[in-house]
Amino acid sequence: MSAVEAREIQKLEAPVQVWDFKNGNEMAALAVGQMDFHLMGYYPVTPSTEISEYVDADRAEGRNRITMVPAEGEHSAAGICYGASLGGARVFNATSAQGLMYMLEQLPVQSGTRFPMLMDLATRSVSGPLDIRCDHSDLYFTLNTGWLVLLARSPQAVYDMNIIAVRLAEHPDVRLPAIVAFDGFFTSHQKRRVQYFKDPQVVRDFIGPLRPLYTALDPRNPITIGAYMNDLDLINNRYQLHLAMEAARQVYPRVAEEYARISGRYYPPVDLYRMDDAEVALFALNTAAETAKDACDELRAKGLRVGVISPNLLRPFPGDEIRSALARVKVVLVAERADSYGSRGGNLTHEVRSALYDLPERPLVLSRVYGLGGKEFYTDDALALFRQALDALEGREVPAFDYFGHSPGDPARALKPGLPPIPTEAVSGRIRVEPKEGGLEVKTPPIRLLTEVPKRLAPGHGACPGCGIFPAVDQFLKGIEGDVVVLYQTGCAEIVTSGFPFSSHRVTYIHNLFQNGAATLAGLVEVYLEKKRRGELPEDEDITFIMVTGDGGMDIGMGSALGAAIRNHRLIILEYDNQGYMNTGHQLSYSTPFGHKTNTSNVGPFEHGKSFHHKDTPLIMASTHIPYVFTAVETLDADVVKKAAKAQWYAKHEGLVYGKMLIACPLNWKSEERLGREIVQAAVDCCFFPLYEIERGKTRITYDPEEKGKRIPVAEWLKLMGKSRHLLKPEYKAELEALEAEIERRWRRLKALHAHPEL
Amino acid sequence: MGTVKLPFQEGQKFFEVRLESIGGLGAHLAGMLLAEAGVLGMGLNGAHFSSYGSEKKGTPVRSFVRFTYPEVEVRTSSPVDRPNVVAIFHEALVRTLPVLSGLLPGGTVVVNTTRAPLEEAERLGIPRGAYVGTVDALGIAVEENTRVNTAMLGALTRVCSFIDPEAVKERIRVFFGGKYPALVEANVRTFQRGYEELELERVLEGPEPSGKYVRPESPFGYLTQWTGGVVPAATTVARDLSASREGWLPEFVREECIDCAKCDMVCPDFCFVWEKQTDAKGRTQMVLLGIDYKYCKGCLKCIEACPTDALAKRREEEGWAEAHRVPHRWEPVAVG
Repeated sequence: MSAVEAREIQKLEAPVQVWDFKNGNEMAALAVGQMDFHLMGYYPVTPSTEISEYVDADRAEGRNRITMVPAEGEHSAAGICYGASLGGARVFNATSAQGLMYMLEQLPVQSGTRFPMLMDLATRSVSGPLDIRCDHSDLYFTLNTGWLVLLARSPQAVYDMNIIAVRLAEHPDVRLPAIVAFDGFFTSHQKRRVQYFKDPQVVRDFIGPLRPLYTALDPRNPITIGAYMNDLDLINNRYQLHLAMEAARQVYPRVAEEYARISGRYYPPVDLYRMDDAEVALFALNTAAETAKDACDELRAKGLRVGVISPNLLRPFPGDEIRSALARVKVVLVAERADSYGSRGGNLTHEVRSALYDLPERPLVLSRVYGLGGKEFYTDDALALFRQALDALEGREVPAFDYFGHSPGDPARALKPGLPPIPTEAVSGRIRVEPKEGGLEVKTPPIRLLTEVPKRLAPGHGACPGCGIFPAVDQFLKGIEGDVVVLYQTGCAEIVTSGFPFSSHRVTYIHNLFQNGAATLAGLVEVYLEKKRRGELPEDEDITFIMVTGDGGMDIGMGSALGAAIRNHRLIILEYDNQGYMNTGHQLSYSTPFGHKTNTSNVGPFEHGKSFHHKDTPLIMASTHIPYVFTAVETLDADVVKKAAKAQWYAKHEGLVYGKMLIACPLNWKSEERLGREIVQAAVDCCFFPLYEIERGKTRITYDPEEKGKRIPVAEWLKLMGKSRHLLKPEYKAELEALEAEIERRWRRLKALHAHPEL
Repeated sequence: MGTVKLPFQEGQKFFEVRLESIGGLGAHLAGMLLAEAGVLGMGLNGAHFSSYGSEKKGTPVRSFVRFTYPEVEVRTSSPVDRPNVVAIFHEALVRTLPVLSGLLPGGTVVVNTTRAPLEEAERLGIPRGAYVGTVDALGIAVEENTRVNTAMLGALTRVCSFIDPEAVKERIRVFFGGKYPALVEANVRTFQRGYEELELERVLEGPEPSGKYVRPESPFGYLTQWTGGVVPAATTVARDLSASREGWLPEFVREECIDCAKCDMVCPDFCFVWEKQTDAKGRTQMVLLGIDYKYCKGCLKCIEACPTDALAKRREEEGWAEAHRVPHRWEPVAVG
């Protein structure tokens, strides 16, 4: 079938479609909503995050009825999806890069136990160094997972391929999970003219009813899912998987043609552009292939016989179609947005080359790695790649493998520090901490004097105006004397202080993956202590190790933090809590208060903001029996400095310290930039965020708004932020009362802990 | 459908618009509504997207719109190199960014400013033959209690003469009507005022139009990057964040200051500059010298924290911050 034929057929049968202007993420959310999926398990990760936001926003308005389960990390998101798929349900996930990597071990389980589901991958570069923009290094990790992999080169294709993928995945001969992959930002965020079926029933009829082979929700037919296998058996399970992939190879064209009949849009296994008489072909995936078509037209206009070849299907790999399309081509240049380091070509170079092996006359295969980390691929770049292939055609020497678009840099411009290191003496000698009965005695100077202390953070970071992170971290560091090494978990503080070639850190700074900060810093602390024991570091070297994390980092990194706490390493964890995943554009975190609006806890007729209460991280950490836990806000600066001084003493002498500071995020709290202090103080004064410390297991409230006669109603705090103001309306009375009751319950419990001599 | 004539220059496949702004001013939304008007309202084909990254509010952002005829496919995903129209949402950007890069000969520049068009053209170095339009979008937004983006959208619509202003108004109604119905009318008014109050002139004297464009490049490459992406300390001190301010800054009044350091405690951007001084009695104390406006983003938290009248909100005029800046004194580092 050709695209023209498909359009003609569609005109005859013609379910009504509407024109719209949407990006890939919107089209993904629309497709799963129309397909009436049961559940989405997810965790936000750029650039796929918007998908869960759109699904949730539609749900809040009643446009879909998908159960949304916000996991604490992608590993769990994949687990939630697996569990849901065992129930014989239609299940959806969306992710990118690190999210895919973190859930990777779950992927072969999903395919190997043969429970279909759908996952969209907005492709992005795999860390590190961290880069949130598009390449295909994440996509290439899916190639050996046993999942079907479909590609979508435009927002329109995102919609279409999601529907095709479900039909393919659930086919009785296939029964495999499917990934639909599209270019992060280029497709996920770029709005284009699109069409979709007006009546969702058209889509539902196309995918048909789900007919699961097994379900864990049928007690009359008990089954054992996930039995382990030995050498005699696993190979047969894997052979079945291989057969399923082979079946998919047969089924895909039929599904694609059937879809073309209703939509007028046909996606053959391999998209061929002006390939009929081409001597030179450019092989590329997704948006780069579309760009290359423009370059191809320019060269064709000059009489050059060039074409573009680009798969719509990556698993199963359409090797036969590629072979026949390239049979008469002289040079094919495989352009890849990822490298398979050390193999002189990305994965597809080798797959394409091996598909061509059986040809009597094989084309020359050139391989180029381009566009990593979202580096733009302009039409001129495609022209340049064609030019290299044409050079080879004309017999000029061209390297078989190379990078394209990398640059040497100007040797005259060296990276240099912005400021000299801080001398230890400059940050020492102002604070005194002495053990006394039952605790510590702390003497700190007036804050005016502390302006003399060089800040460990330099100005020039890129945080939003009025960001609460930096006053909080700086105040805390004012209470820390001597040399410091910091580790920031992924989050706003990390991003805005460490974008290459910039760093705002005057002390040594480390960033590792989102969830792994506490473990990383624990490793560094232990090797520091070991090297001191061995005399490999000077005896008087005295470093304090501090991890800075957002509340998101304490969700996905909870396990790592608890592990470090239970092992009681000599380090400090300082959490800045702005009640949401602000770095990815304000999704709910577990610290988001009940009823508050975020982009994944929307407010509408069918959803009333976040549906569960805020996580009590200080008490979770305290339950590991670490020596010191505290809470603080920037408004009470002297209190922050004192708690920091204690934190340093305990981290040096007894073990791990955890502290949480509530900080304002004016952008996402939808509050005035100038009012950060007032809002966090209101959170303290309404007892939502009590200030206290737990020192060697004993709880002490350090600021009691009741005692001071400053307690305010919860509503006085909520009215200061756009994200919570709806709770003051009569229709949200139940949510407000539930939040008030929980705040009161926790406050009374805290007072009881405070009052008890043993707690 | 199909009756719109796009004012292509020779060889052009797309009519292209580039919006130059900082995060928070709503350029993305303005670009989206313009594109929607063309595509959904008028049956054109088109694309819209913005430069994304990990940037936060206050950092430069660019938004791109492409229009073409309905039967032409949009294949490229790349940023607009050679715009027919450039819209500058924030004047301060022109100091640090090549906002006019690639402007087509005879193209149009729209600027949010109180200046007259030709004065602005001279200031920006807009090439001869181009058109320059100025509109006090901030002034309109303040009066209508809306945002500059809708006023800029009005101005943009006027210079994209093939776009029907009614189609844009329809998109404004759909967008605001869904989320914030109370804001619909104010935004339609803001749009209309931007459309009408734009002053447009042709630049008759100015530099030769080149149409040259620059694409972003890193100053460091594989020979000069440190292995593994390691970066030396404190390099952000070289950055200038003045463009993050949206028209306001804190003014320091030394005579009212009691050196309590409350401002320093709440400043997210470490702008307060202190010095150790010895008073008449020989006691040393920390004394606040002023504000390093190079890093100030204008959040005004310091004013709220100040217990006296030593800090006051001030409307920023061009050149004031530079004239009153007290630069940080990094060397020698204070020793306690």
